[in-house]
Amino acid sequence: MVAIDPTLLNIILIGLSGTLICLAVHFIPVGGAPAAMAQATGIGTGTVELAAGSGLVGLITASYMYAYEPLADIPLVMAAGAMGSMVMLASTMLAGGFIYAYGVAVPFASAQVKKDPITGERQDIYVSKGTQGQGIPTICFVSGVVGAALGGAGGGLIYFVLMEIYKPLIAVASAVAVAGVFTMGVMYVNSVIPSYGVGGTIEGVHDPKFRRVVGKDVITSFFVSILCGVLAVLIAGGMV
Amino acid sequence: MSDIKERTPNQLMLFGIIGGLIGIYLTYLLPLIGEKIDGQIAIVLQTIAPTAGALGGICAVIWGADAVRRVAKYGLGTGVPSIGQIAMGMGIIAAMFGLAIVKTMVIAGPIVALVTASIIGFIIGWFAQNVIKMKIPVMIRCMTEIAASGTIIIIGFSAAVAGNFEFGNIIQLVFVNGVMLAVFWVGAMAMLHPFNACLGPDEKQKRLLYLAGSTGAITMAIIGIAATMTLGASGAITLILGIILWVIFYKKFWDEVYNDASSVVGTGLIPKTEA
Repeated sequence: MVAIDPTLLNIILIGLSGTLICLAVHFIPVGGAPAAMAQATGIGTGTVELAAGSGLVGLITASYMYAYEPLADIPLVMAAGAMGSMVMLASTMLAGGFIYAYGVAVPFASAQVKKDPITGERQDIYVSKGTQGQGIPTICFVSGVVGAALGGAGGGLIYFVLMEIYKPLIAVASAVAVAGVFTMGVMYVNSVIPSYGVGGTIEGVHDPKFRRVVGKDVITSFFVSILCGVLAVLIAGGMV
Repeated sequence: MSDIKERTPNQLMLFGIIGGLIGIYLTYLLPLIGEKIDGQIAIVLQTIAPTAGALGGICAVIWGADAVRRVAKYGLGTGVPSIGQIAMGMGIIAAMFGLAIVKTMVIAGPIVALVTASIIGFIIGWFAQNVIKMKIPVMIRCMTEIAASGTIIIIGFSAAVAGNFEFGNIIQLVFVNGVMLAVFWVGAMAMLHPFNACLGPDEKQKRLLYLAGSTGAITMAIIGIAATMTLGASGAITLILGIILWVIFYKKFWDEVYNDASSVVGTGLIPKTEA
């Protein structure tokens, strides 16, 4: 195997993790304002809020793993991030599901597919007239949890790479703060880019929109994240 | 466009960049001038210096709010808040880079950050326009402006909390104690809220700019609370000045709302029983 320059490897890893976050957003069933009125499938808030909310919880769990497990390596930190994000998003969807079911009283149905790919239940007969589906059906829930795992893993990866760069240069508390805030910046940039691509709402992996936009969003995100990676490495140069 | 006189994008851009940079540089220059003069004036100048950073931040908030207005008018499909968040995301990356890379040449930091933010904004705007194909003609220009104003907001308000914009100092007084999160979020709100609140067919630039001034001023007040923790007296000045500016701008905004409304009537409470 060809040995890669560690700096280049860091930049590529940050680029990849930004891309992971971008990819993650496509999996999360984001309904936006229509879903908040139970007129579209998904969680009733914006892409950025969901991706950032679950991503930041992932960042907390990943940093906890990094701080308290001396042997923590990349997979372990990424897994911790994924776990935090999954718990956060799953509980959001569960609480939202209770409200849709018992508060708004709508049947959960997706307007994008005829049958739920997981349960095989028919969807179209339960979609109310004039709406784009309601609630969070099984496929959306599963897709959302998968997306949260990707996003949390991506956040954990950036944090790990940045900590490895900054920790030898400045005090640990400062390194944590700088790495955390930089990760947050990359996370926001990479969760807004796909939300422009999907135009605000997406149901999850089964949505035809997914295949249409995921390619160009991922390309955009990769280039932008590589740029962020270059800046992150150069910041370390300024700390010496 | 209507016949109402509007500030042009270039005017506001100059206002944001020049006002923002003057504010930020005053936090650095006022104490230096004070050292030359010595005596009581030196202490006074040192105390009021950080407040200038927050005033620069308000200039950038007004510019950024207008840039958000121009691009979000086309309908992004994701809500106005998303653009405020991407602005701060780009702004914070550029600000950290600009302030860190200059090492001992502290004075160049904000300008390097501004240029970096513009480059990041341009690249994201170019991709949004040509790869994601958003078909918004002002996308590239507005993304560049939004990123640049975002970075001035971050540096301005951080300087108000830390006293100056030297990277090591900002890490200690803004990053480590978590004030950065307040700068990030309240700054984003200040920038995205004016258009989010005013949007609609009856939206007018003048009203929006006054609201932007008031959100910027209330950000200054909140940053002032944080600065009382780190800097003491300077923070109190920032806080009080922020509240005064907020009252002034909010009153202006209030007057504009009354001006633009056809009439303002009190409806009373909702009757208990249906008539």
